[in-house]
Amino acid sequence: MLRRRLIPSLLLRKGRLVKGVRFAAHRDAGHPVGTARAHNAQGADEIVILDIDAAREGRGPDLEMLKAVAAVSFIPLTIGGGITSADIGKAGIAGGADKVMVTATALNRPALVGELARALGVQAVVVGIDVMREDGRVLLYDHLAGSTAGTGEWVEWLKRAVGEGAGEIRLMSVDREGARKGFDLALYEEAARHVSVPIILEGGAGSLAHLDDAFKAGVEAVGLGTMLVFSDNNIFKLKQYLDRRGHQVRRLEGA
Amino acid sequence: MRLTVIDCGVNNLTSVCNAVRQAGHEVEVATTPEQVASAERLILPGVGAAFEALSRLRERSLDQALEESVRRKGRPLLGVCLGMHMLAERLFEFGEHRGLGWIEGDVVSLSSLDGFDRRCPHMGWNPVEVVPDSETLFGKPRGERSFYFCHSYTLRTPQADRVAATASHGLDIVAAIRFDTVFATQFHPERSHANGSRLIEAFSAWAP
Repeated sequence: MLRRRLIPSLLLRKGRLVKGVRFAAHRDAGHPVGTARAHNAQGADEIVILDIDAAREGRGPDLEMLKAVAAVSFIPLTIGGGITSADIGKAGIAGGADKVMVTATALNRPALVGELARALGVQAVVVGIDVMREDGRVLLYDHLAGSTAGTGEWVEWLKRAVGEGAGEIRLMSVDREGARKGFDLALYEEAARHVSVPIILEGGAGSLAHLDDAFKAGVEAVGLGTMLVFSDNNIFKLKQYLDRRGHQVRRLEGA
Repeated sequence: MRLTVIDCGVNNLTSVCNAVRQAGHEVEVATTPEQVASAERLILPGVGAAFEALSRLRERSLDQALEESVRRKGRPLLGVCLGMHMLAERLFEFGEHRGLGWIEGDVVSLSSLDGFDRRCPHMGWNPVEVVPDSETLFGKPRGERSFYFCHSYTLRTPQADRVAATASHGLDIVAAIRFDTVFATQFHPERSHANGSRLIEAFSAWAP
């Protein structure tokens, strides 16, 4: 049986990691290579690293940094940021990534998902879906535009992304990002009803109980940002706790 | 020990090469039949589309070089993911494609299997059940024996005696096969942390 996955979600900006709240107010969060090495050693199940300026600056992700991170990661690595073509995706895989993630670039040009799937295989394409709850409604958020206006229905986009060739979905609650108030489990449950690919839920993890709640609710994988950055938590401690709570997590030897 | 990684155009060479070096070995990337012919020990990785990988292999005459090197001369081969699938007779992925035919059976999509009701792709860390006589190929277990899987297609073979390990994702699937001088895994040892490193180490010492 598959283990529940804990996935550090790293945001890259100008050669450093940063972390913020609701996609803003970014603070320095360390060096990418040292951080990846630590997550690797502490039992992270995968690493996601997103170059958050790439798309806005009209370029691909920082491949030199990706290569340096890949060289110390012996767990799956997903990269994202500015992946606007199959060629950029291929360069990412050639640089040592296993999967590429597209978010706003795919929302703005859905055919990109299929182009990546044909070039890299469905299993290598993660579509990031960013949503915000506003007045009880779930709205798609376009981080390039910084707005939810004119983005369409999120469930329609979810289904279309999978239809185009997404092998995995990273579902992000933007309004909870960095807010430490727990995951949006209702959001996950709705997404899981509509598609059969794996879903990584992200946004809101702040305490051990939040992880316990997510796995109890059937979430298979969670993305963790703030919780691993601005606290004394690490994956090893989180897994010890989750194991005691009876969840099936991959345990490191001796643990 | 030097391990030769075969480049069939569509694969994750960097992560495989990184993992081989991490296990303490030299690594060479082979793109020509001559390089395959002179290799002592081979790795056939693969991600992506089966048809493309098989076409590239044949365009570069690497299929014949592998046949000669592994099947006739008995050099050890480690196949990974699509590198295992390509060894089958037929691959049903966007049509039907002819594999190398080293093992009987077909590669089919997980979602086409009767009774399959799990998420697909099968993605993440899954424990494997190793057949006792293949234990040495996995290295000495320390703790949980889980490996990283990332696939939508699976090998179905009638040659049960060639199955080295299985994994459960709702149904039992082939996690590894082993016959003659061939060892191949559905999961990715190069992305399976210490367990993967031990497997690469065990393969590099394997004397079938």
